[in-house]
Amino acid sequence: MSKTFLLEPEIIAATENVMPDLNSDLIKAKNFLKQQSAATGDSLYDHLVDMVQKILTHKPPDVVDNFEQFSWEVKEEKLRPNFDLLNDVYLTPPQLELMRTMDDMFKLVASKSQKMEEVGEEEQELDLEEESTKPRISDVIDHNYYFRQCGYGLPESECYALYIALNMLTIKEPVATVRFFGKIFGTNADYYVAETDLTIEELDRRIREFDMKDMPGEGEGEGQPEEPDNEPEERKEILGEGEEREPKTKELVPPKLPPLPVSTWTPEPPIPVERPGQGVNKKVYWVCTSLGSPWVCLPDITPQHVRVARLTVRVMTGDLDAEIQSFPPFEGTERHYLRAQIARIAAATSISPQGFFTFGSGEEEEDIDMEEAGDMNFNLNPFYQGHTIKDLVDPSLGYWVHHGRHILPQGRTIWWNPRADMMDEGEEEEEENLPLVEPETGPALFSAVAGDATVAGAPAWSAHVSTTLTSSRALALLRSKLWPGAVAYANDGKRSECMYVGWGLKTQMPNFSPLQLPRPQTEYIIGPEVMEMADPTFADEEAYRIAHLPPPPPQEMPGEGEGFPEEEEEEED
Amino acid sequence: MNVHKLWEYREYVKVNGIMLTNELISLLQTSLTMLQVENHFTHMQYWGQIYGVDRDYHIAVGINRDAINERKYFYTTDFKFWGLLPKAKKKYKFLSLIANTPFRGDISEKIKVLDEALDQGDPERCKNMKEEKRLAATISNICEEAEVCARGQLVKQPDGVVVVSPNFYGLTGPEAKLLKSYLHIRPAQHKWNTNILTRADYNLSMDFLDSIDMDIPNGCWNLTLENVGTVAYLKSLYWPGMMYFHKVRTPDAGFLYVGNGRKNLDVPFLI
Repeated sequence: MSKTFLLEPEIIAATENVMPDLNSDLIKAKNFLKQQSAATGDSLYDHLVDMVQKILTHKPPDVVDNFEQFSWEVKEEKLRPNFDLLNDVYLTPPQLELMRTMDDMFKLVASKSQKMEEVGEEEQELDLEEESTKPRISDVIDHNYYFRQCGYGLPESECYALYIALNMLTIKEPVATVRFFGKIFGTNADYYVAETDLTIEELDRRIREFDMKDMPGEGEGEGQPEEPDNEPEERKEILGEGEEREPKTKELVPPKLPPLPVSTWTPEPPIPVERPGQGVNKKVYWVCTSLGSPWVCLPDITPQHVRVARLTVRVMTGDLDAEIQSFPPFEGTERHYLRAQIARIAAATSISPQGFFTFGSGEEEEDIDMEEAGDMNFNLNPFYQGHTIKDLVDPSLGYWVHHGRHILPQGRTIWWNPRADMMDEGEEEEEENLPLVEPETGPALFSAVAGDATVAGAPAWSAHVSTTLTSSRALALLRSKLWPGAVAYANDGKRSECMYVGWGLKTQMPNFSPLQLPRPQTEYIIGPEVMEMADPTFADEEAYRIAHLPPPPPQEMPGEGEGFPEEEEEEED
Repeated sequence: MNVHKLWEYREYVKVNGIMLTNELISLLQTSLTMLQVENHFTHMQYWGQIYGVDRDYHIAVGINRDAINERKYFYTTDFKFWGLLPKAKKKYKFLSLIANTPFRGDISEKIKVLDEALDQGDPERCKNMKEEKRLAATISNICEEAEVCARGQLVKQPDGVVVVSPNFYGLTGPEAKLLKSYLHIRPAQHKWNTNILTRADYNLSMDFLDSIDMDIPNGCWNLTLENVGTVAYLKSLYWPGMMYFHKVRTPDAGFLYVGNGRKNLDVPFLI
């Protein structure tokens, strides 16, 4: 310290000057401020210089009120490591990876559209054929515009990338139509969900694959009833061992045990899975967690998946292979669960104004055949003219209909009769014994939204007008309370669409309660052997003994007198 | 969300697909600016929306001087009249959690709430509650549990007054990924030194609130960075419909709640 003091020329000058002087006082004060702190080697003087410099260059408002914070920041900056020392290491921006996948996507779509243009120029006459094979993509950008008018929708930045991503899906995968279903939030990543119809060739291929799989599947079905037969055998073996041991340990004759209980529970016959392109598996869903990454096809689901999904609540994690822990156990990973939730949402919240869709393609004869088949097809109604906004937002909701097939409690859209097989085999025997199974029915396709079950006493859908100021631009919006995040809009013309953005959770009133474990079955038939009763007390035994005393023996037979005490002992044991 | 920045912030809204419409923003800005002038608020924020069967409630917050103790909540159904919400009573805060019926959209409506935990004959079992009280209680519940701010957004001045920091430049990228950087806007419930002891770079003027990483259960907050890592989103599983966004390295941040005002008590099953 003293060294620096001496070395500086001002200080030397100060020592020469003996008289009190403003300059020397200043220099003394400055010296004090320049004292280095032992811990950091920093001096207050430097810090103040930095502070003043920063305040004057940055000119933040009201520094005096936040001076402490400001001073902290200045200090912090000083401690920041200087990366230039590390031989010019270039730190890539974190966005790079995402941008690469996006770039690939844009290139793919651009090359495809260029090809299409070239082809289009050459073969304009053959355009008709071309169109039939060209996949149809619902215009997300257009629909999103209308959704945003109603107060819903995706941000612009996402919407455009999404549209390109849907284009990519049609290029890469064999799909005939693509529609944006919605977005499902997850704890780590969100899923974008696209709803598609497969091309006819791909659908045929999948159905063939499904049929192939179904053959061994039936074998399994037969195998299952055999299992209960095996179990009792094992039990018998165990029982047998037990019997062997008993005589060794106890010399008494083993008490006569009631027969061991046999479980009367039989697994329900497996409900057949609906084939691809039918019922809950009518549409094929593709998901991706970031736009630009490849779309992943979600597997078809079984009725069991839907049934279990109904009994559980869970949020998605964003990982398709995540394990599902639930009771009853869920067979499959998150991709099955996600698919099941999507099926439930699609069934409950696909709505459109009345007449928007129609059965068949407008040709009456075709319709009847389809209805007989049980799985009705519907198409856009070319004669749909639209309803007025006033009708569409009417609180009775009579002008909106479901176009999603209702999923029955069985987990299928078309009811499957579990007795069907038996009825064929032996109608005469079974009909009397087995109670008739009532077919499960749900609301038919195109039934009015007004008929939906209420949520806590209020209708399941609430209708809104998008604007009150300009009625000419008004749109009708329906918001689901059962599936928060599900919305549908319609204008007075020919536009309508529905979308779901949310957590994939259904409103449950009052709250979710997990499925209770079934009551245990009674193991033994209740009888004197298995009933619990109080042990006799000494008094009871004594009373019993006295009551059962043999009549006093005649005095003439002395030889038998010895036998009594022995018997008494035995009884007391 | 700051009323005067709604046009910018609308792109960041991300609750169950909600998007603020042009009409809503215009209406809010005109009516809330007037409300701000009438009450001499330094900050005016749009808080969110609570769905009702007949009409929806829109809620706004005015901040005068103290950003924690002097928050005033207003509600409206038509954007013409903004009513001051009464202070929530503890009793109603509890009742609003167990009320099952949806809001009607009429503040004078009375509902009956059944407390099933009590015995059949208990006179306290069935209680009346006015919708205005319920609204106030619900909002106060949400604020207490879900209203958050980034660390440094609110600072405590030496005189004990908490103000919205004018020199908040935003969290840095690594900071924004930590739950610890987000604090509850409520009078601190933990001990005053809890936060200070758990972080190395503590700052008495910032760390006087509870951080949300202490909330139970672990995982009830969902923090994601989106728009290629430039916007941090916070969502609460307890209050579906709540969101908080913060643009990294900018002072832009906002809270919004749009929902039916029901707390999701199924959270332990969800995660």
